[in-house]
Amino acid sequence: MTLIADNLRFMIDGLAFTLRLAFATLACAAVVSLTVGLMSVARASVLRLLALGYVEFWRNIPLLVNLLFVYFGAPLIGITLSPFAASLVSLSLWGGANGAEIVRGGIKSVSAHQMASATALGLKRWEIYRFVILPQALLPILPPMTGLFASLIQATSLASLVGVTEFFRIGQIVVERTTMQEGESPAFLVYGFVLVVYFLICSCLSHLSRVLERRLAARGTRVVVSSRGLGESV
Amino acid sequence: MTAPLIAVRGLTKSFATLRALDAFDCDVARGEKLVVIGQSGSGKSTLIRCLNGLVRPDAGTIHFNGVALDTHSERDWRRLRLRIGMVFQDYSLFPHLTVRENISLAPLRAGLCTRSEADATAIRLLERVRLPEKIDAYPVALSGGQQQRVAIARALAMRPVVMLFDEPTSALDPEMIKEVLDLMVDLARDGMTMVVVTHEMGFARKVADRVMFMEGGRLVEEGPPAQLFGAPREARTRAFLAKIL
Repeated sequence: MTLIADNLRFMIDGLAFTLRLAFATLACAAVVSLTVGLMSVARASVLRLLALGYVEFWRNIPLLVNLLFVYFGAPLIGITLSPFAASLVSLSLWGGANGAEIVRGGIKSVSAHQMASATALGLKRWEIYRFVILPQALLPILPPMTGLFASLIQATSLASLVGVTEFFRIGQIVVERTTMQEGESPAFLVYGFVLVVYFLICSCLSHLSRVLERRLAARGTRVVVSSRGLGESV
Repeated sequence: MTAPLIAVRGLTKSFATLRALDAFDCDVARGEKLVVIGQSGSGKSTLIRCLNGLVRPDAGTIHFNGVALDTHSERDWRRLRLRIGMVFQDYSLFPHLTVRENISLAPLRAGLCTRSEADATAIRLLERVRLPEKIDAYPVALSGGQQQRVAIARALAMRPVVMLFDEPTSALDPEMIKEVLDLMVDLARDGMTMVVVTHEMGFARKVADRVMFMEGGRLVEEGPPAQLFGAPREARTRAFLAKIL
């Protein structure tokens, strides 16, 4: 344990890096998810096709390959990306693709009757999404989105492969250095510590999500129509 | 002769192979209470949804107040929807908003009034539908009949000239049907122009100026309730009435 204490300063720097990358990634992924998710339910088929193409491309390749592809591919089109930026871009694009499907699913799960009654009141389409559909889509979106966010936080460790000195990489360095200096490998201890920290971060996230879910559910974002059910008439 | 409030000519709508409306003609006069009856599949719901553009007709014209409507223009439809209120079978209140917010959302977004005016309107309308104490409740806390009455108040908040009702009591438990029908009778007495699709024949007899019987997307027979229920001319009308009366 003194090993951890000795290297604590070093590890906290790495953790700070991880948290910065994680927050930035979550923010960007959220924006991309919302944008592409809305595009996928747009009335214009061009937008829907673009959204579909985007999602299919980024979702069906391994995240690791994605990251290397962005990092090594960017200079070929004249953009220089720092390792941090490359990680941010690839994680956000990947996270956004998966998130968009979650957003789309959440929107679709809101009853079509809501759209009909809001339309009948003379609300504009964007107003219907903003005030009626999206607030209701939030509840079904929350659990899978939280899972995605947790995956993204953990995926920041991949950034170590392109040279970002984030938390996992720092742990790796500590293990290597200590093994060389002391002859003994503290791998289990150090990686165990890294594991615990990731676990705590992701646990906080899922706890927050559950609190939010409970609040939304209490407001009754789902209304159950009477047991007699609805007769569909033409 | 004043022009009818709504004039429909040649309205046609198909869903895949189903002809839901077949060259349908119809007039609705200002202040008239028109009740539409028929089996499911007769086209009555399609008709009423064509009147506010929830369903776009394949062919035909709609005139509102003598002015032709461009059935392809979303803008035209939206402007029309500010004058036409609609109440659905499933009430469809917005469950994440309070009753107050449900009622004020559309008027505020349409710029029809200030927030304090919207609040005053909500209070007034809730008193009219006899639910003033529910103003800050969420729909989940209301019974089906209460939700439907709030839905009616929500539609009235837009100050419509015509109210469309698509089987407003069909999804309600029997003991709640009366409270909604009473409210609709009240509205009718106050002079609202109404087009009501319903199976409630008692209501039709009491309130309708004219009853239309539809089948296969076409008008079979129409007339004042006394005549249509009492002495229907068509065999198909008689057959339908025999089944439900």
